[in-house]
Amino acid sequence: MILTSEQKLFRDSLESFLSSKLPIAALRSLRDASLSTAYDRGVWQQLAALGVSSITVPTALGGAEFGWLAMGAVAQEMGRRLSPTPLLSSVVLAQGALINCANLDQINHYLPALLNGDEVWAVAFEERAHFSPDSVSTAMTPRGLSGGKCMVLDGASADRVLVSALNADGQSRLCLVKTDALGVKQSPSRLMDGRQYAAYEFSDVPESECDWLAGGASGAGWIQVLNQGMVVLAAEMLGGARELCERTFEYLKEREQFDVKIGSFQALQHRAAHMYSELELSQAAVDAALVGFDSGQGDQCAMASAAKALANECFQLISDEAVQMHGGMGVTDELDIGLFLKRSRVCNQLLGNTHWHRLRYADRAGF
Amino acid sequence: MKNADTAVSFRREIKSWLQKNCPISQRQPIVQKEQIWGGRNKHFYNDDARQWFEAARDRGFTAPEWPARYGGGGLSADQAAVLREEMQDLGCRPPLYDQGLWMLGPALLVFGTEAQKQQHLPAICRGEIRWAQGYSEPFAGSDLANLQTKAEDDGDFFKVTGSKIWTTRADAADWIFCLVRTDDSGPKQQGISFLLIDLASAGVSIAPIPLLSGDSDFCQTFFDDVRVPKDNLVGELHGGWAVAKEVLRHERQLMASFESMAEKPKLNIIDLFNEHMGNENAYGISSTDIRSRLASHLMRDSAVKQLGNRIAQQHEVQSVDSRLPLLMKYLSTREVQHKNEIILDILGTRGLSLASPDNPELYDSMVKQWAFDKALTIAGGTSEIQLNIIAKRALELPSASTPE
Repeated sequence: MILTSEQKLFRDSLESFLSSKLPIAALRSLRDASLSTAYDRGVWQQLAALGVSSITVPTALGGAEFGWLAMGAVAQEMGRRLSPTPLLSSVVLAQGALINCANLDQINHYLPALLNGDEVWAVAFEERAHFSPDSVSTAMTPRGLSGGKCMVLDGASADRVLVSALNADGQSRLCLVKTDALGVKQSPSRLMDGRQYAAYEFSDVPESECDWLAGGASGAGWIQVLNQGMVVLAAEMLGGARELCERTFEYLKEREQFDVKIGSFQALQHRAAHMYSELELSQAAVDAALVGFDSGQGDQCAMASAAKALANECFQLISDEAVQMHGGMGVTDELDIGLFLKRSRVCNQLLGNTHWHRLRYADRAGF
Repeated sequence: MKNADTAVSFRREIKSWLQKNCPISQRQPIVQKEQIWGGRNKHFYNDDARQWFEAARDRGFTAPEWPARYGGGGLSADQAAVLREEMQDLGCRPPLYDQGLWMLGPALLVFGTEAQKQQHLPAICRGEIRWAQGYSEPFAGSDLANLQTKAEDDGDFFKVTGSKIWTTRADAADWIFCLVRTDDSGPKQQGISFLLIDLASAGVSIAPIPLLSGDSDFCQTFFDDVRVPKDNLVGELHGGWAVAKEVLRHERQLMASFESMAEKPKLNIIDLFNEHMGNENAYGISSTDIRSRLASHLMRDSAVKQLGNRIAQQHEVQSVDSRLPLLMKYLSTREVQHKNEIILDILGTRGLSLASPDNPELYDSMVKQWAFDKALTIAGGTSEIQLNIIAKRALELPSASTPE
C-alpha cells in the first residue's frame, strides 16, 4: 500500500491506539460477554473522535475525505488485532448507504450522530444463508413492514437498522427503522469468531416508524456500498493474514525438532514462500480496488470481486497453514492462531464467497 | 526530472518522435516471425521493420538507459520510463530482440573493462552481434555451480572444452557468454569464470534440440579445445559467479515480463470461451467450472500486473520493498500456465493437434504455446529455486542445504 505522509501519520496513530485499547485480548473478553455486546461502545466513541467514522466522508458533509486507501489501512490494522468494531457494519455499510442512497435532508439529519459515534447502525439485507443482496421479500404491507433477515452483523448492538425491503409500490428500497420500534424483534447470537450478529423479525412495523431512503436497494448507490464493504472486509482479512504470516515465520525460526530449526526444512520453506507470494498478490488486488474507489476509474464491481475472491482464498490458505505449522499448539485456544482461522471462515461467507465473486467477475468481463 | 515543465516537454518530444519514426505496421501486436533479432545474419521481415530498427538504433533507443558513448540512449530512469509508457501507449513493438541487450549488456556495464564495453556494447545496441547464453550443462541445471565445462590456461588464451545446454537459438547467434570452470580445487561456486566466446571459433559445434512444441528454439553447444583470448574474461578469474548472478537477476525480470514481449494470441481467451463454451456440454457443469477457473485466472493475472505496477511505483518514490521483485517470476509464470490449461479445456478435442492440416492454424498455435510455456517454470531458475530464494531472502528463514 502506498500512502501519503498524512495517511501514514493517521494509520500510525490508529495503530498505537488499537494496540493499547483493542488488542486480541479484547476479542477474548468479548467472547465471554453477554450476547447484547458486539463491541466496546466507549472505545468506539474514542475511535470516532480520532476520525475513524469520517475517513471517506466528503468534507462538505463534515468528513475528513481522507480516501479509501486510508480506510483500507485502518481495516488492515484492525484485522491484525481481530479488533471488534462496527467499522464494516455501521461505517462502511450503513453510513455508506445513508450517504449514497439518502436525500440531503436525511443525510444532514442523521449523519452527525454517526460521525461522532453517538449512534451506531446496522444493515439488514440478508434473507438467505448465501450472499444474495438481490433477493428481497421483506415488504411494506397495509398493516406495516413485515419479513425476516437472517444475518445482521453487530445487529443486537445497533440503535437503528437499515432494512432492504419492498415499499408500498413494490420497489426495492432501503428503510431506516429504530431497533426498539414496535414490531421489531432481534435474536442475537455469537459467531464462531467471537463476533455478534442478530436475526431480525419485522412484524407489522408501522409506516410511521419507517424512514425510506430515496435510492433503491438494487440501485447503483447501494451496489457501490456493497463493493466498498467487500474491499474493506478484504483489507481487514489481509491484515489478519499478514499477522499470521509474521507469527508463523517467526515460529519457524524458533521451533526446533530433530536438533534444527523447523524453518530450515525445504518442505516448509516452499510452503511459507508460497503463502507470502499469495499474500502480496492479494494485497495488490485489494490496493487496486481501493485506488479505484478513490479515482472512480475502472470497473468497480470487477475490482471489488477480484479483491474479495483473492482475499478469501489467501486468508483461508494462510490460516490453514499457520495452524498446521504451529503443530499441536495451533489447535489450542491458548494461541491466537486459531482465532484467525475462525475469523477467516466467517469472512469467507460474508459479502460473497469465492464462487459468487468469480461468477460476478465473469459477468462483468463478458463471458 | 528536474521540473514539471521539462518532464512535459520531454514526453511531448518523445511522442512526436515515435509517431514520426515508428511505422504504423510496427505498432501492431507483435507476431513471432516479425520480431527483429540482430546479428551478422539479421534479416528484416519487411522494410517497415528495417526502418523502425534503424531509427531506434540511431537514436540509442534499442538500449535507452545505456550511456550514449556505448551506443545507448543515455536516458535517466525517469526518462526511460516515459519512453516505455509512450511506446506502450502507441503500441510500438520492441525495435530489437537480443539476449545481449537484455542480459549480458547490463552485467558488462557493471563488471566489464572499458575495452570490453567499447568492443561489445555498441555492437549489441546496433544489432550487429547476436548473443546466446551458455549457463546450463547436462549435469548442471538448477545446480548451476556444478558446471564442468573447463577453461584451461594456455598462455594468452584459455582452451575451452565441454558443452552447454538450453542455449537459446545459439544456431542463430554470433557470440555466447559462458560460465566455465577455471579451478576445481575449492568450493564449486568459487572456481567459475565468465567468458565471452565467438561462436565462429574453431572447435565450436551447435545442435538444435527438438522440444515438446515441435520447435527447437534451444540448442546444445559443444566446445572442443576452443581457443579464447584472455581479454574475453569478464570480472575476476574464478570470480564469474558474481557476474552470473547479475545476469540471472536480469533474466528473471525478463522471464516475468515475458508475456508482453511474446506474440499475442489472435483470439483472446474470453472470446474463445464465448465461442466454444455455449451449449456444447451435456451437463452444463463443465462450462460453469471452466467459467469459474477462467475468472479466477483473470483476477490473479491482473493482480500480478498490479503487483508489477506497485513495484514500479515504489521505485519512483524510492521506497522499494526489496522482497516484492523476488515474487514476480514465480507468480507470473504460474498464471501463464494456468491460462494455457484453461485454453486446452475450452478447446476440448479441437485442441489436441500441434500441426494437423485438419485443424485451423489458430488452435495449433495455442497448443504450441501450451507446450512451449511448460519451459517458463523451468528456465531462468525453476519455480522451486524461486521459492528457495523467497524463503531465504524475503522471509529470512534459517538456511538449510537449499541452493539458490
